[in-house]
Amino acid sequence: MSEMKTHAIDISAMQRSQQTLRIESETPCLTVNNLELFYGDKRALNGIDMIIPEKKVTAFIGPSGCGKSTLLRCFNRMNDLVDTCRITGEINLHDTNIYAKGTEVAELRRRVGMVFQKPNPFPKSIYENVAYGLRIQGINKKRILDETVEWALRSAALWDEVKDRLHESALGMSGGQQQRLVIARTVAVKPEVLLLDEPASALDPISTLKIEELIHELKKEFTIAIVTHNMQQAARVSDYTAFMYMGDLIEFGDTNTLFTNPAKQQTEDYITGRYG
Amino acid sequence: MQKASVSKWFKSGDPWVWLNAGAVAISVIMVIGLLLLIAVRGLGHFWPADIVEARYQAPGQPSYNLVAEKVESVEVPAVQLREAGIDISDEKDIVSRTLMKTGNRDIYGADFRWVIDDFLTDVQTPSMLFAAERREWGNLYGYLKAVKENGNTVVETQDKNASESALATWAKFEKSIARVLVIHDEIYQIEKHDIGAINHGLERLRLKQRSLELNKELTPIVMADLNSDRAVFDQEYKVMQEQLIALYAEINRDTFVVEAMDGSIKELQVAKVVRAFRPNDMNVLEKLSFYGEKLWEFLSDDPREANTEGGVFPAIFGTVMMVLLMTILVTPFGVVAAVYLREYATQGWMTRIIRIAVNNLAGVPSIVYGVFGLGFFIYFMGSSIDQALFPEALPSPTFGTGGLMWASITLALLTVPVVIVATEEGLSRIPRNVREGSLALGATKAETLWRIVLPMASPAIMTGVILAVARAAGEVAPLMLVGVVKLAPSLPLDGNYPFVHLDQKFMHLGFHIYDVGFQSPNVEAARPLVYATALLLVIVIALLNLSAVTIRNHLREKYKSLEM
Repeated sequence: MSEMKTHAIDISAMQRSQQTLRIESETPCLTVNNLELFYGDKRALNGIDMIIPEKKVTAFIGPSGCGKSTLLRCFNRMNDLVDTCRITGEINLHDTNIYAKGTEVAELRRRVGMVFQKPNPFPKSIYENVAYGLRIQGINKKRILDETVEWALRSAALWDEVKDRLHESALGMSGGQQQRLVIARTVAVKPEVLLLDEPASALDPISTLKIEELIHELKKEFTIAIVTHNMQQAARVSDYTAFMYMGDLIEFGDTNTLFTNPAKQQTEDYITGRYG
Repeated sequence: MQKASVSKWFKSGDPWVWLNAGAVAISVIMVIGLLLLIAVRGLGHFWPADIVEARYQAPGQPSYNLVAEKVESVEVPAVQLREAGIDISDEKDIVSRTLMKTGNRDIYGADFRWVIDDFLTDVQTPSMLFAAERREWGNLYGYLKAVKENGNTVVETQDKNASESALATWAKFEKSIARVLVIHDEIYQIEKHDIGAINHGLERLRLKQRSLELNKELTPIVMADLNSDRAVFDQEYKVMQEQLIALYAEINRDTFVVEAMDGSIKELQVAKVVRAFRPNDMNVLEKLSFYGEKLWEFLSDDPREANTEGGVFPAIFGTVMMVLLMTILVTPFGVVAAVYLREYATQGWMTRIIRIAVNNLAGVPSIVYGVFGLGFFIYFMGSSIDQALFPEALPSPTFGTGGLMWASITLALLTVPVVIVATEEGLSRIPRNVREGSLALGATKAETLWRIVLPMASPAIMTGVILAVARAAGEVAPLMLVGVVKLAPSLPLDGNYPFVHLDQKFMHLGFHIYDVGFQSPNVEAARPLVYATALLLVIVIALLNLSAVTIRNHLREKYKSLEM
């Protein structure tokens, strides 16, 4: 299995273009301004400033507990569910601050979709899983639902595998299929941003590879932010990489540059495996 | 060495396995034993036992002829009987004593007597001896002598053996009973349903008039309307009355003559007989079919003779209906409370106190709920409802007295803690990531609850409902205060508007057991019915539970993702 994985990485690495991207020339999708986050009295994010560029893949790496998942969950206000959580600073989705008073959180979450570490399909049929977000919006026309479900499943490279059993329970699928189903479900509501929180960490190498290929496809239409523990994965799938450590954004830039020629000593130590 | 092996045995865990398995085995044996006991005692009651005829000669007393059904035998120490003044020979230590059902309560005063087996001589089971179940005065045992129509003898016999004349008389008797039962059904139909409907209509007219009177809207025109309606009912009633008179004349046409065990001759009306049979002449198949018939009567008929005879259908119906109503009330209430406690309320000392209080509520003795139901629901809420909605019926209460609705509400209150606890447990087991998955798709908290969380928690909710049903169906004490009666004149569901009578009093199997077993004037006759009713109650509860378990398993199958 491990041999196969290495093999996959080699191919993927060869396919990557070596040209350097410049963050200044990108259109910002999400802009983070001096974001601080507290769990009770404990500060988890220390004044983050960054942009997530549109239609690109931005990876967050860093050791456990560095705040990368916390930051990701700020983008769709998932942290609101934690009672003790308090946030200062702002995050702008295009030009509107998502933490402004009167923001419709449900609407925000529709625009900023999220896929979690563990596949979490609903105990419904495959079809109903994908249609869920649409039904929530009050779309119940069968024709629209059928079209969107097919489109979403195709986008998640799942359609051919499941088209004959759309009305069977989603719980009968393999873990990798479930995760792609969750991606399809998120894509179905046509969000602007796709947040992936370690989407492949619970999957086997082949499923992981499929998810990574999927990310390449999806970035044509969506802005993607991905948190990963796996540095090779970050190198393979992302255009930009942010390295975080202890609630600070240490370094942020073009993925090739960050991995080959990091500006900060801490980044170099981490990616060369000296700690973390 | 020995010591070491014992401690090794303890360490191996074997003793605990034995202990646990033993505990389980004892519980199972006790439950099965209990069920067997009530099943044997209860179900044996419907079997047509042989009728024996014998001569009974107790020492120092005149001998007499005994005709009776054997009920049960017990072994008694001879000393005990000697001390009671009965002359028992010295060689005997133990004497067997038998309870005999002699029936004919109208002739002898009591229909059971104990006899000492040793003093019975000449025991036989003549085939012409018959038993007749009557509408009153219990069973009749004896020899059929004649059947009369309008006082004129149609057939008669002097024989006690199965002679041609005796069999002809019996055949005529059976035919006469069949005819009378048909007429009886017609009378029942008219009295219960047709006249019942007329009475119901008249009562509604009376209430309408009273209500108009109270509102000062009773104009002569309206009054005339009411009176014309009433006249229609009166006319119908007169027709019914005439039919009834004719039917009664018909039903009382036939009489039969019977010779009881003491040789006395009695003439009785065939109309009083429910069924007559000659158990000594029956083969096993006939007995089986008779048994089935009796069992069916028990399940489907109204009770007779202060509940000691006949069936328990109204009690089955009342129990099931009360439990279903209770379920309908308790489920939404308990679920809503649990959802608030678990999903919306800020978790703190306040919710903790509420949780403790809810748990404690489950331990409050049920009679306390009964008292509360009587004081709060019936006397306070019920009488307020009566004053507001049914002033025309006052001073007789509508909801201000015990009834089906109040009983269901009281039991719902009694069982709501179980549903709350089970639902909360179920809600807390829904994985966080599934909720987040729904929220991340733009669903609000309420939508997530409604579409994802509650369906996934539904097996747990059903578990709560199952426990609630089990507890409510077996509860008797509070019901005695809030609406159960010994004998309800009609079912809470019938053909008269508004069809479901939530204000009506009802019968209940649990209360029926108490009433028949411990409040009945005829204890011996009632005892087997107590067992039969207890068995029935267990079966009804088991069926209610089984259906709930089936629903739960179905839901579980549907949402079996909980552990991912």
